Amino acid sequence: MAASKPTSTQPVQRPLSPHLGIYRFTLTMAMSIVHRITGAGLYIGVLLLAWFLIAASMDASAFATFSWFIQSIVGRILLFGFTWALLHHMLGGVRHFIWDMGHGLDHPGREYLAQATLIGGIALTIIVWIIGYIVR
Amino acid sequence: MVGNHNSFRTPLGRVRFLGAARLGAEDNWMLRVSSAALIPLTIAFVWLVLSLLHKDYNGVRAELGEPIPAIVLLLFIVFGAYHMQIGMRSIILDYLHGQAREWALIANSFFATALGLACVYATLRIGFI
Repeated sequence: MAASKPTSTQPVQRPLSPHLGIYRFTLTMAMSIVHRITGAGLYIGVLLLAWFLIAASMDASAFATFSWFIQSIVGRILLFGFTWALLHHMLGGVRHFIWDMGHGLDHPGREYLAQATLIGGIALTIIVWIIGYIVR
Repeated sequence: MVGNHNSFRTPLGRVRFLGAARLGAEDNWMLRVSSAALIPLTIAFVWLVLSLLHKDYNGVRAELGEPIPAIVLLLFIVFGAYHMQIGMRSIILDYLHGQAREWALIANSFFATALGLACVYATLRIGFI
């Protein structure tokens, strides 16, 4: 106690919390990281929505430029990624709400939630894209 | 501040309610409030995009000129821009420190506000012009 008494010139050297490197890979950990990555991806991805809305608010040629881009291979890949990120992040939010209510924090529960987020996000994305291609 | 031992304030008293960004639990709570709104709005948004997918310029403008799709879109944009600003702020506070953190927080605020307002303006312009 007396040895670690702070002085005005030298801050106490406290141990730092260990970071990602030392932990074993778990699905719940991966889903936590993916939740953050999809959130950051959506942050950039909404530029597509802004482009779409601004183009539609301007004129037919601006809209045609957007249409050409979004129908290109790159555009489709970006839109597919955006769809998955949006739906995965939404399910991650639902998972957080379940946790906030105090459920699903026990051992099998949190694993099931992590699996449901991962599988649900992929499944919903594929379903939405099938609907997108079929329904006209 | 750290070395000031003349103050009667305890270390706990000095940091209480300050939180990582001086916002404390406010960010955490508002992130959840906005995400509660965004769950139904995201479903509605995906539905809306599916209905726009095979429409041309005039078809898209006609659809977004209708009140219900426009209101859904506006709510999605406003809650989304708010939610993404808080979310990115928590990422910045986790990974950036010092001067870089301050600039990133400012840029985040500008980006989220500009993007949100641009989308709102464009949506309203489609409906009213």
